[in-house]
Amino acid sequence: MTINQTIYERGKTAGIFPSLSSRRDEAYVGFIEDARNLLMHAQQKPIGEYSRSLLQDAGKSMETDPKSSAEAQELLMKDSVLKTYYRVKRSLQESFWECILNSFNMKKNELLQALDDAEKIGPGSVSYDPDYAVADYTKREIHLQPGGYVNEPLAGFIYDYGLKVFMGGSADNDAAHKGLASTAGAPKDGQVSRILDLGCSAGGTITALKNIYPDAEAWGIDVSAAMVRYAHLRAAEQNVDIHFKQMHAEELDFEDNSFDIVTATLLFHELPVSMAKKVIAEALRVLRPGGSFTIFDFPSANKQDVYGMFFGEMDALDNVEPYIPEYVRSNVEEVMDDTGFEMFPYDPSKGLLIGRIGTKPEN
Amino acid sequence: MTNKKNNGLEYVKDLPGYDRGYPIYFENELVDHLISIVLELGAELWVVKDRLAHLEEILSENNKLSLADLQTGKPSELLQEKLDEERQQLVKRIYGRLYSKYGGDVAESEGAL
Ligand SMILES: C[S@@+](CC[C@H](N)C(=O)[O-])C[C@H]1O[C@@H](n2cnc3c(N)ncnc32)[C@H](O)[C@@H]1O
Repeated sequence: MTINQTIYERGKTAGIFPSLSSRRDEAYVGFIEDARNLLMHAQQKPIGEYSRSLLQDAGKSMETDPKSSAEAQELLMKDSVLKTYYRVKRSLQESFWECILNSFNMKKNELLQALDDAEKIGPGSVSYDPDYAVADYTKREIHLQPGGYVNEPLAGFIYDYGLKVFMGGSADNDAAHKGLASTAGAPKDGQVSRILDLGCSAGGTITALKNIYPDAEAWGIDVSAAMVRYAHLRAAEQNVDIHFKQMHAEELDFEDNSFDIVTATLLFHELPVSMAKKVIAEALRVLRPGGSFTIFDFPSANKQDVYGMFFGEMDALDNVEPYIPEYVRSNVEEVMDDTGFEMFPYDPSKGLLIGRIGTKPEN
Repeated sequence: MTNKKNNGLEYVKDLPGYDRGYPIYFENELVDHLISIVLELGAELWVVKDRLAHLEEILSENNKLSLADLQTGKPSELLQEKLDEERQQLVKRIYGRLYSKYGGDVAESEGAL
């Protein structure tokens, strides 16, 4: 059994996933990616400075308490340039997802067939249950992705292509994931025989980790059947041996003390805070003493001023990120610490994504 | 449909962004529509420019044109590089001015990380 190669008849994009169905769609999405790079990413620093100066000129508090936040939001959203920024962001976001969805739907049967075919081949494996009771809070159209992760059978293909556009090319060939994985925490004794990635999505992080620890047994879990099916296809195509399984991260179907490394990339800002706490407790449970847990995600609470908070909160409404406002106000490091992890010191100002590393105490 | 895993999470339904909705940013919602339209037209203009350049490349190399080449083929790497450059310039030239108030029009394009 091999995977039907017609899904790659227009080649691969970003080195990994099937290209869109037509040159027209590719050109369209290329335009949006450039527009996002210039009109969103490149503006982040200058628009941040501009917004902070608006707040300071108006004598507003830069603290992150709810009152200051509400005042900041009210003031900033009166400004026509900021309105434009958020309008542009929303419009670009809607357009590119729609194009990707329509484009992959043109070869829906072939793509679904490829997912079926992949189940019969290795390396690695995939398991999921079509009747699995998926928690409602995960069924949102996060970052406006049509159908979200769980309600669209082609979600894996769509997400992977979308991530390329989102990241403005910095995730091509899994470059971003390889970079993150190379900084993930590891046990001091160097013993790594089993690794796990939570909310693995298309599997970029666990693939990169498996390449760092080729002898370890690798697992990726995700609540979405569509995502684990796709992740398996993607890993098998790259000849990387990983087991993917549909599972809630807050209810892991693994034994206590059974992993050396656990990671979660960009999962936490997509969880209600009460769930995030459960996930951290589960990570602690399944790690063996001395095992290491790394959470890669956006900065949270105490590291931000009111503008940083505002920026995160706008994402909720504009971009269907309902849990980001809670997330940016929570304190991920503190929760890890309170749950029982020994925290590794790190520099929170380093980059858009922060790696928080905790070790399970020896006794 | 609620399920047991949502115990204690009923509040999430009231969070902003729980549903995708139709946010409007300007007092006059026509401005919202106009910005969307202008971006969409830019994308469609680019699609045509891309198609034309691809068409010219095919014609100049071998007098024979097939529709399939245009629809599902890809331009040469050399042309692709030129197009990437041209597309970035076009975006910057047309839309950069939206942020001229704080100097964002001269920002250099960059990825997320
Ligand atoms: C932004 S993606 C993660 C990206 C991925 N880790 C990577 O390295 O590219 C978030 C993923 O988390 C999954 N997810 C959300 N809530 C979950 C939960 N409670 N348990 C397991 N997976 C969850 C979603 O289905 C989605 O695939």
